[in-house]
Amino acid sequence: MMQDFKNWIDRNLKGDPIIWGIVIILSIISIVVVYSATGSLAYKKSGGDTEKYLLDHSIMIALGLFVMWLAHKIPYRFYGIIGKSLLFVSVPLLLITYIFGSSINEANRWLTIPVINRAFQPSDIAKLALIATLASLLAKRQKNIDDFKNAFLPMIVVIGLVCGLIGLANMSTAILLLSTCLLLLFIGRVPMKYIAMVILVGALFLTSAVFLGQRGSTFFSRIERFMDADEIPFQAEQSFIAISTGGIAGKGPGKSEQRNTLPHPYSDFIYAIIIEEYGMIGGATVLFLYLALLYRGMRIVASSTKPFGGLLSAGLSFALVLQAMVNMAVAVGLGPITGLPLPLLSMGGTSLMFTGFSMGIILSISRGDHQDSAEAVSEGGNKLRKSFQPA
Amino acid sequence: MNIKRSIVLRVRVAFLVVALFAGAIFYRIVHLQFVEGEKWQAKSETINFQYRQVSATRGNIYAADGSLLATSLPFYRVVIDPMVAKEDVFAKGIDSLGLMLSAFYKDKSAESYRRMIKDARSGKKRYLIINRQQIGYQDMQKMSRWPIFRNGRMGGGVIFEKVEKRYRPFNNLASRTVGFVNEDKYGVGIEYSFNEYLEGQNGKALFQRIAGGSWKPVFDAEDVKPDDGYDILTTLDVNIQDVAETALLRQLQAKEAAFGCVIVMEVETGHIKALINLQRNKNGIGYGENYNFAIGDQGLTEPGSTFKLLSMLALLEEGKVNLQDSIDTGNGRFKFYDRYMNDSKKGGYGKITVKEAFEKSSNVAISRLVEQHFGHQPSKFMAYVQETGLHQPLSFQLKGEGIPYFKTPGQKNWYGTTLPWLSIGYEAKLTPLHTLTFYNAIANNGKMVKPMLVKAVARGNQIHERYDSEVLRKSIASSGTIEKLQQLLEGVVQNGTAKNIYTDEYRIAGKTGTAQKLIDGRYTQRYYTSFAGYFPADNPKYSAIVVIDSPQGFAAYGGDVSAPVFREIADKIYAQDLQLNKKENEKTYLANATLPYIQAGRVDELQMLCNKFGISNHVAGEAADGWVKSVPVNRSIQWKPNKTEAPVVPDVTGMSLRDALYVLENKGIKVVYQGKGRVKGQSISPGTPANNAYLINLVLG
Repeated sequence: MMQDFKNWIDRNLKGDPIIWGIVIILSIISIVVVYSATGSLAYKKSGGDTEKYLLDHSIMIALGLFVMWLAHKIPYRFYGIIGKSLLFVSVPLLLITYIFGSSINEANRWLTIPVINRAFQPSDIAKLALIATLASLLAKRQKNIDDFKNAFLPMIVVIGLVCGLIGLANMSTAILLLSTCLLLLFIGRVPMKYIAMVILVGALFLTSAVFLGQRGSTFFSRIERFMDADEIPFQAEQSFIAISTGGIAGKGPGKSEQRNTLPHPYSDFIYAIIIEEYGMIGGATVLFLYLALLYRGMRIVASSTKPFGGLLSAGLSFALVLQAMVNMAVAVGLGPITGLPLPLLSMGGTSLMFTGFSMGIILSISRGDHQDSAEAVSEGGNKLRKSFQPA
Repeated sequence: MNIKRSIVLRVRVAFLVVALFAGAIFYRIVHLQFVEGEKWQAKSETINFQYRQVSATRGNIYAADGSLLATSLPFYRVVIDPMVAKEDVFAKGIDSLGLMLSAFYKDKSAESYRRMIKDARSGKKRYLIINRQQIGYQDMQKMSRWPIFRNGRMGGGVIFEKVEKRYRPFNNLASRTVGFVNEDKYGVGIEYSFNEYLEGQNGKALFQRIAGGSWKPVFDAEDVKPDDGYDILTTLDVNIQDVAETALLRQLQAKEAAFGCVIVMEVETGHIKALINLQRNKNGIGYGENYNFAIGDQGLTEPGSTFKLLSMLALLEEGKVNLQDSIDTGNGRFKFYDRYMNDSKKGGYGKITVKEAFEKSSNVAISRLVEQHFGHQPSKFMAYVQETGLHQPLSFQLKGEGIPYFKTPGQKNWYGTTLPWLSIGYEAKLTPLHTLTFYNAIANNGKMVKPMLVKAVARGNQIHERYDSEVLRKSIASSGTIEKLQQLLEGVVQNGTAKNIYTDEYRIAGKTGTAQKLIDGRYTQRYYTSFAGYFPADNPKYSAIVVIDSPQGFAAYGGDVSAPVFREIADKIYAQDLQLNKKENEKTYLANATLPYIQAGRVDELQMLCNKFGISNHVAGEAADGWVKSVPVNRSIQWKPNKTEAPVVPDVTGMSLRDALYVLENKGIKVVYQGKGRVKGQSISPGTPANNAYLINLVLG
């Protein structure tokens, strides 16, 4: 019986089993905590129907896992091309969203897909696409990485464009993405002087986006409030109360009190709720799971034979874990309030699919069997990349 | 593979950085729990946050013509936090504030107000209700300019706590029908029956308790926005309601009756145009709307002679009698089993026709006929009752409708005397609304429509739900029978018990009813008098029922007590209704040959008016900015432009106050006025440079 199960797993869930395990554990934690945290939301918006959010969220998690399974089936060499085509789609999408999208908290970040009537953030697509494209660009230019004009310029243009567009409506995501890209450039052996230049250009783009965009004032007021030690923002204060009252072992599942006063307890501040209900033990476990995920992603870099696979894996793992770290840092008061969800744990609707997608790509790279055929298509991939260069 | 090694090394470096960051997060958790722990735990206990209700604005209730029957207005409770004001502000303002409060509320002296606030301040109180009496918006505006108060909430400590109150512009008019809802969601009338729509959806927001027990919203916006309630559009006609109420009240007072009610209904649609319930107040003085006798449980009574119409329907429908058949009523006394049936006329009517029997409301005749034809099979009679639907509730739009009561043949309580007494309206219970619905069906040529009070639920101009007239029975009897019943009802007013309300102007059809009241199981000398009918009989537009309970004095019959009220209501409706009153009145004034005196105003409005009335008019020259004065020229009116654009004081004589205010205040001139009507004179003559004028005095007349 156990043997059958193991065989089935071996047949269907390829790639790093530990990553599979971590994602599944985080998904289960997510369902349990979100169910608890949506209590007040359900009470306020759906007349007390808490199961509605449980069901919705579980379905989205299942869909995310399904997308992850699909993505890990595709040989990762295709993701270079997929990434670039997605990038071409996402730039106009970002513009459309900025101009027409529906606004939550006065920023246009969401676009509704007509048929299934689900809102999604085009910045999710753009993030994925940018990292894949960047990994591919870096991989191709490993031999002449010091060449400013041919190697570096295309990258900086793409990074600046995408981060700038995202920054118009969502500064936190843009800064996080920029940092991830910088990290990826560093890993991809780009000389430090160029990276310093990217910081400059990026800063330029982001500042202009702050002044032109919708959320400029929010951005500054949040930073100001973070700097101002005397006045702790309401959200942070409530989060601290949640964390400090949680204790070592927590109040127990579903016993959170702060979920009633903490804004967005199911997304932005889910980490505070986890600590309140499961204590320091729960908080440390989640922290450890993310680090383990990053560690496994790093292992893939070491074991991969092609730079593209390694860089893609590193980029996606860092993007996810960095966001997780920033979210948790906000909850414990190490950073200004950003509004970034905790990937894999927060109730986030469609963004769970994109997280699943990027986890699927990492898994696809971790499968040894896809690598063998990587050589065969690299010629075709080359031509495509050439045609991309002028952009 | 030095490239790969380099990449792997860099990844490890990055991983280490992230791991360090994770360590910092963990350190913060430990710090928060063990170092700052007590501080936050203490804070969690002191700060009091609560999700509190943000009330939705309750919907309005409108009459058919759009007049407001009930609406919600903001009122304010005046509260002060006496500790807020600074010493100099407080010391300087407290004396005059006391004076003003005393002058406003007129219940305490200036000194006692002053002392109350001062005591609260020295007692370090943070919440003092100045007066329980709530004030309106205008007064709130006025008060917020008073000393100390004018420094606002943060500087003076005044808090105007908003309370929403239900306000009825027409006071008691239809007040029972409009109804109320109390805080426990119990109530009556439309307010209660349509509460679901009216109350809307309350919102929620996070509030923080601040000193003094007040709650302050934490964020600007509500977490759950309140959804304002829907408006209810009723079928009530304010004019008819008013007319009917006045007429009923006068009769109740004259007859010192216990209670009375009137329902006026539109024949074709079942729209209730007026619904009045007046009951003598508990203290014995005056009458008030305390219970809906027309519809509710307590209104269920033995209907009396108005029920004879149903007996006639059964008899005619059965084909057993003709109106010209004669029947012997003998000496007005007839024995069924062990009980005597009496006619109201001493000595009886002798031998009369069936028609006369109905017109004179002979108990003996009707009960004998019914007993004769249905006595062997009472269930056949009951089948006719069921045919009309009178045995069941109407599922009327207001909650608490009375359920009609009828006995069932074959049951223990069905005696031999039940049928004869039932035939004249005893041993059964109906509400006035039921009886009226039946009479309305006769007026409507047999088509029974369901009475209705609410025609739509709307928000703004958007209709949310519309209620259409509902036909309960396409035909309650054959057309021949209906025609005969209509003849009978007209006969009652022409020759019968309601002869006193006969008029040449138009035709009334109806039936009187006088039922002895059953009190503690015995029939007493107190009566329940009613009149149900419709008008104009040749083409019925309205039906109505008038019920007056326990009138005092000699003439205590339906014809004497209730019928005159019906006539008065009918007269007034008939006089007001242009559609009904087609006949030219000789006294109508012929239009004067001279032109009407139109003075000044906007050219487009005046032209529209003149065109409507068919008065020829034209513009002389160019009407510069649309303001004109009129000049009569040969049976037509010429519009002369009134130059109001020039920087001089314009000529506003002849304008309505509204127009004059618009023109003058647009020039920055302050206006004061006296009188009513159009502008007769202005204190600054036209043509004076406008910048010299500051205040202008207008005389209206």
